[in-house]
Amino acid sequence: MSRPVLSKLEKGARFARLDRDRGLVEAARLDPAQFDALYRKYLAQVYSFALYELRDHHAAEDATERVFMKALAGLPRFEERVGDFAAASGSAADHGSAATERAAEDASTFRVWLFQIARNVLANEHRHDRRRPVAPLEEALGVSAPDDIAEAAVAREAGSAAWQAVARLPDDRRRAVILRFVDEMSTSEIAAVLGRSEGAVRVLLHRALRSVAADLRGRLS
Amino acid sequence: MLGDGARDARRTELYLDGLLSVDDRRAADVPADTDLDPGVRLAAQRLRSDLVRVHPSFRFEEALSARLSVGAARLRAGLPVELAESPATAQAAITYLRHGLGADQAATIEAPGQAHLRNQSLASRSPRPLLFGGVGVASAAISIGAVYVAWRWSHSSATPMGRAARAAHGSRVTHPAGRSRRAAVLQGILGVVS
Repeated sequence: MSRPVLSKLEKGARFARLDRDRGLVEAARLDPAQFDALYRKYLAQVYSFALYELRDHHAAEDATERVFMKALAGLPRFEERVGDFAAASGSAADHGSAATERAAEDASTFRVWLFQIARNVLANEHRHDRRRPVAPLEEALGVSAPDDIAEAAVAREAGSAAWQAVARLPDDRRRAVILRFVDEMSTSEIAAVLGRSEGAVRVLLHRALRSVAADLRGRLS
Repeated sequence: MLGDGARDARRTELYLDGLLSVDDRRAADVPADTDLDPGVRLAAQRLRSDLVRVHPSFRFEEALSARLSVGAARLRAGLPVELAESPATAQAAITYLRHGLGADQAATIEAPGQAHLRNQSLASRSPRPLLFGGVGVASAAISIGAVYVAWRWSHSSATPMGRAARAAHGSRVTHPAGRSRRAAVLQGILGVVS
């Protein structure tokens, strides 16, 4: 009789996992100047997401600025929804591996919230720039640092084929791939950012990888 | 009951979970379900290595940090955060913010980056490869490297091992054109003739 209660408590404990950014978020709420720590922590992730989406160095900088300004302004209204998000993480952990379990432990609802802002900002950018031709991804990455030897090498060599394959993916699959591989988000985090179910994100990623595999195979042959 | 598509997607997810944590375990790859499509596995490995995270230029980072500091000060003063008059440098932002305030209030406005420096949790950043935007970092690294090579070229080692190595090197037959080519390259980089 006591066993179901215990398992419920264990599950409840998993649901109550804390956001790993809780300390920083609380500090920033008390003193907005402390937001700088969150900004430094997530700058590269947000900027990369914007650059891979917009494929323009300057547009990515503008979008990144808007994202962090909106986040700073919205911080007093931010709510750590441990219940919803950690429940999703917890259910993922129920199904699967130690890595998924770790992803659930590392989950940050602040990061999800920040990337939801980024997704909205980028959607607005896409609406405004629909008539503007989009540059190839390797060109966009080359523009950001023309004298950077490492980047130039990456752009020239192995990168371009994979980037082109990713750039050809439909929007939702491409976003899922970027969030998974570049920003290293778990399936549950991506689901929360994109507003999809975890199962849908799993299928998106699987199909995206199959498309990329077919693309790379086609190039080789 | 999972369908074939959902089962394949689940296999792919488990493989990706392992693959994306190989840095933590210092491994190159992870064991995969034998039913996982080899093409999917190769594509995942390729994306893992090619889709790098990109850092914006330090100049942009500091400029935005300054603007956020202005926004934070506005927020503290009960004003809305907005993309308004943006000082070009962090110091200009602080001067702008402290203008007209009393000493106590002015002292509460931190320079951008101070909160970051105090925050120990940022030391645990991801070990992912990172590209840096902007030309400053690359050109500075090249300049430092060139100066070091020139310094080593012109300063002989005082240690017995160094002298022995130099003597051994000097006794070898070297192609004169090769040496002059190296010297020309160095002179080209440094713009000086020693």
